[in-house]
Amino acid sequence: MTHNDKPMSEQESLALITEMIQKARGQYHQSGSSAILWGSLVSFCGLVSFAQRYWHFDIGFDIWLLGLVALVPQLWIAFRDKKHKVVKSHQENAMDAIWVVYGISIFAMIFYMNVIPHTSLKLFASDGIELLQKNTTTGIVTPYKPYVLSTSSLLILLYAIPTLATGIGQKFAPMIIGAVLCYGFFVVSCFTSSTWDALLNGLAAIFNWLIPGLILRKRYLKAKKANNV
Amino acid sequence: MFKDLDPILHSQLRLAVVSLLIGVKEAEFTFLRENTNATAGNLSVQITKLKDAGYVDVTKQFKDNYPLTICKITPKGIDAFDSYVKDLQQYLKKPVV
Repeated sequence: MTHNDKPMSEQESLALITEMIQKARGQYHQSGSSAILWGSLVSFCGLVSFAQRYWHFDIGFDIWLLGLVALVPQLWIAFRDKKHKVVKSHQENAMDAIWVVYGISIFAMIFYMNVIPHTSLKLFASDGIELLQKNTTTGIVTPYKPYVLSTSSLLILLYAIPTLATGIGQKFAPMIIGAVLCYGFFVVSCFTSSTWDALLNGLAAIFNWLIPGLILRKRYLKAKKANNV
Repeated sequence: MFKDLDPILHSQLRLAVVSLLIGVKEAEFTFLRENTNATAGNLSVQITKLKDAGYVDVTKQFKDNYPLTICKITPKGIDAFDSYVKDLQQYLKKPVV
């Protein structure tokens, strides 16, 4: 439709407004690349952690360090998306804010998990307290090193928050379902050992991000193809 | 008594531009051109009119050494659009004689 300066009737004006608002609304399509990247990575790391604990083997390094490596492709995806973007919606702005806050929170949580045990030990020591643990079978008492219990549960809980917010905000059912499942995995993980928590962590990433990401990707490619035709 | 429709907005291309901008935070000139199917020259003239009326903000930047024009609706533009739609609704409710 070509628009010019010819006089319009009221009905034509209304039809034009409706058409343009629909066009602007249809512009927001997430490529799904970030969801696929983090969904694959976290599920892979979770499943490898589970396999190591369940079958008692060690790959020689902390698999979760791959999370730092994945920041490189994430930055590339963000740069590429920004470069090709010709319009920025209010909704997109809100979604970006949610995920940036989530990113900060997940790093803060990892920081907490690593720092609290050492800090607790030092603070107890400065008060003249030493934590000890007793093996009830052998009766042997050894120094106890504190650690944050069920860290995977906290991570799974954190995964669900931005996913549910995004799902509700975008009315995207796969993310809502993924997040609800994630809350379920969180509850289950409160009653299971760290071995099974690692498996739940991997499953949470699959349902939260990988599957919704693949659906988003399919929709994005379809919309891109439709726009090009 | 019916209010006269805002002459700045009661033009096909200007109304199309404002209707596109009302739903987004900001948009590049190319986005507006593609969605209105207008020529670059005509679109540029109409955007300047909207800018002069204080309905849109226009920012010029460079992207990969190419000029980039970003348009954004202003609070005044939002109010004008809102009034335009309300006036339009009044006209549409008018009984047919």
